[in-house]
Amino acid sequence: MNEERHALVVDDHPTNRLLASALLKRMGWIVSDAENGNLALEQAGQKTFRLILLDISMPGLSGEETCAKLRATPSGGALKIIAYTAHAFQEDRDRLLAAGFDDILVKPISVQALEALTKDL
Amino acid sequence: MKLPAFLGGIRGKLIAIFVLIKVVPLVLLAWYAWHATSQLGEEVSVKAGSMADSMLSTIKSVGKTVTDDSIRALDLRSREAIEAMTTDTAKEIANFLYDRDNDIRQASDLEPSEAAFRLFMNERRRTIYRHATWKLAEDGKSWVPEKELAREAKVTRPVLPDNAKDFHARPPEYLGEAEQRPLFVEMTYLDLNGNEKIKVTSGGLTDKGLKNISDRNNTFTRAESYFADLKKLKPGQIYVSDVIGAYVPTQAIGPYLPATLEKAGKPFKPEESAYAGTENPVGKRFRGIVRWAMPVLKGGQTVGYVTLALDHDHIRQFSDRLMPTEERYTPIADAIKGNYAFIWDYKSRSISHPRDYMIVGYDPQTGRPATPWMDEDLYAEWQASGKPSDEFLAGIPPFRDQNLKRKPAKALVKAGTIGLDCRYLNFSPQCDGWNAVTEHGGSGSFVIFFSGLWKLTTAAAIPYHTGQYGNTPQGFGFVTIGANVDEFHKAATATAAQINTLLEEKDASFKNQRSELLDQVAQSLTSTALGLWGSTILMVVIVIAIAVWMAGLLTRRITGMISGIHAFQEGDLKRRLDAHSSDEMGELACSFNRMADSVEESFKRLEEAREKAEEASRQKSAFLATMSHELRTPLNGILGFAELLKYELDNPAQQEYAAVIQQSGEHLLNLVNEILDLAKIEAGEMPFKRVPTPLASLVAETAAGYQVTATAKGLGFELIMADGLPANLVTDPVRLRQILSNLLSNAVKFTEHGKIKLAVSPVGEEIAFAVTDTGAGIPPESREMVFEKFKQLENFLTREHGGTGLGLSLVKQLAEHMGGRITLDSEVGVGSTFTVYLPLDTTDE
Repeated sequence: MNEERHALVVDDHPTNRLLASALLKRMGWIVSDAENGNLALEQAGQKTFRLILLDISMPGLSGEETCAKLRATPSGGALKIIAYTAHAFQEDRDRLLAAGFDDILVKPISVQALEALTKDL
Repeated sequence: MKLPAFLGGIRGKLIAIFVLIKVVPLVLLAWYAWHATSQLGEEVSVKAGSMADSMLSTIKSVGKTVTDDSIRALDLRSREAIEAMTTDTAKEIANFLYDRDNDIRQASDLEPSEAAFRLFMNERRRTIYRHATWKLAEDGKSWVPEKELAREAKVTRPVLPDNAKDFHARPPEYLGEAEQRPLFVEMTYLDLNGNEKIKVTSGGLTDKGLKNISDRNNTFTRAESYFADLKKLKPGQIYVSDVIGAYVPTQAIGPYLPATLEKAGKPFKPEESAYAGTENPVGKRFRGIVRWAMPVLKGGQTVGYVTLALDHDHIRQFSDRLMPTEERYTPIADAIKGNYAFIWDYKSRSISHPRDYMIVGYDPQTGRPATPWMDEDLYAEWQASGKPSDEFLAGIPPFRDQNLKRKPAKALVKAGTIGLDCRYLNFSPQCDGWNAVTEHGGSGSFVIFFSGLWKLTTAAAIPYHTGQYGNTPQGFGFVTIGANVDEFHKAATATAAQINTLLEEKDASFKNQRSELLDQVAQSLTSTALGLWGSTILMVVIVIAIAVWMAGLLTRRITGMISGIHAFQEGDLKRRLDAHSSDEMGELACSFNRMADSVEESFKRLEEAREKAEEASRQKSAFLATMSHELRTPLNGILGFAELLKYELDNPAQQEYAAVIQQSGEHLLNLVNEILDLAKIEAGEMPFKRVPTPLASLVAETAAGYQVTATAKGLGFELIMADGLPANLVTDPVRLRQILSNLLSNAVKFTEHGKIKLAVSPVGEEIAFAVTDTGAGIPPESREMVFEKFKQLENFLTREHGGTGLGLSLVKQLAEHMGGRITLDSEVGVGSTFTVYLPLDTTDE
């Protein structure tokens, strides 16, 4: 892993952005964050991310919409987009996986869960 | 019995009922009327027919009676007339003969001299009628008069109206050509020795020479033997002889015609055969005499005898011209017609007959009587006797067994000697009959079928009793008249024929009328039947049309209702029935509509309730989701940063605080999770999947985590997978994992020593997941309680054990929602076994 690992955390809630960023940084990620979908798209246009943690319930662009747009970018296919959400029901999981997310990280998160999702990256 | 398809519906049934109650009586009525009418017609026909028949038969019988009576009356009248004619004729003959008695008396008073005798003879003449010349018809089949005589009654004055009824005029009677004929052919004077002293003749019939007549050979046809009788005469006594004449034979009986003679193989010589009236008008006539004689006295002494020979033709005149028909007189007799008169002498010998060959005569060569006609039997007898016929017949009783069955001797016909001597004419029983009525001087008649004709035959004795004729009451003999009976009642038979014709006409007309009547009856029957059946059929058609219409009307409403109800049933709740009419159907429609109204109302309410419930459910879901989301969001910060703090802090006490924060947060998270799961279940929002799930790996993966925890806690852990488990179990893997996790988590949590065991095995149609611990055990009274929310056994503190108090309750709910159940088997101090049974489904629906 000689490359720099850039991760983007998208969440309208500052605490959540902070937590995720802190945990990822602790795991060696270079973390950027954005507070809504549009900003996330903006950032994704400027920088190549390996991982994006994307909140679902956000003002403006929702997580799903943002995911769809990210996937539509040139590097969108290789991008690992993980839903970073408090929607913990089974049907939510199914819906999100169908919407193009690679995986789901349900809030509240644990280090263990985050590590499990990111260990291959 | 299966009804036909068209009777299945109400419409068909209604029509059938209509037809049954209307058409059947109608048809029956029509049939009855028609039957009665045709019976009446038949009766009328039969009665009219039998009436006509009986009328006709009455007329017939009346006609027959009338005719029969007429015939009988006419017959009687004719009989009377003919009998009268017969007796009159007989009396005339007798008178004529008595006049000859006077002649002989006068002659006996004459001075015998030729001159006186001639004068005497010339003074005595009488008219004889002879027919004119006849000749053979050109076709040779009959004899015809040379000149056809036209006789016409002449009436020159107008017939007065008063006399016009049945005015009838006859022409002058025509008896033939009149001839003044001397009565006598010979007048002689004999001496006492029989010598003819004076002889005056006329006509040349007798010998002119003077002879001694005591010798028969010197007499007329050598047949006279009167001298012996003369010698016995006393003064004043008169001798009268038999009829003496030469027999005239015939060559044929019946019409003497060339064809007949040819058939008999004899030459056609009519002049040489006997005269026979119309049958042979040119034949040889029988010529005979009757001799009167009387003694001539001188001084009271017989000195000689005077004789007078009467020309036999004068006697014949009485019968020859006579016709017992309306013709009255005929110039020529027609024997074949059966209407003629005969004269028979006192010995019943024929002395006058239309056929001269039937007049008895003598053989002029021998003077013996010519052989008379006999029947076959008598003829055979005679032939056998070898005697001359007169000698033979003298020994035969007269009128012996006469009957119509006897056959005339053909040999005599052939010989041509068929003079009629009634005494031996045994095939002619009328001979006997004539004698029966005349032998006592009387007269009479009878009817006999003879020669193919019914003949009335009359007979009357000729009351002339001079000389030998005075010996019997029969006198000179008798006159018979034969008449064709049919002639008498010609009028009646004509009437009968007329009646019959009339009857036939009437019969025909009756039959016509009858058939016309029958036709009329039949026609009237036909028209009645046509009318009857026509109107019946019309009425039937109308009834059926009405039935169809009414059934249609009724069923249209019913089918309308049915389709309305169907539409309603299929969801068209706005559909209402037409309820305009006020009858039962209308009421039914009203009722239905009311029901539909309330159903619709109920549906509306139900729908509203459903919508409300759905809305509530949606809201509940949204609430739960929001709750989950909103609870997790702060927990994320709490748990995350607590964990992070744990790593970041160096002070062990602080690390411990951070750990407490994390543990509390996790407890809260569990609580939240379980509350939300229960809430979801209770809200019916929990989805349960059914997917084929690899059973062994799921169980192993789930168990692995708790094995680690158990081992860390110093507990043993055992996983037993029984044989016969399916590779894949159709179930919700997430919920199965949740169930197993909860049970294993509890087991590890509440067990301090011993071991934890998870045993998976098939039990019947279920699969059992049994989690056994060696914990404190649960007393029986608490076993139900452990599945209630927030209930934990008192000796276990939630906080101490980190339990939410919702785990078992959630497991129970999940198991039940997955079609299974949970059981608890526990012993205090030994441990507990929680077993979840789930359906052993291996096939994905």
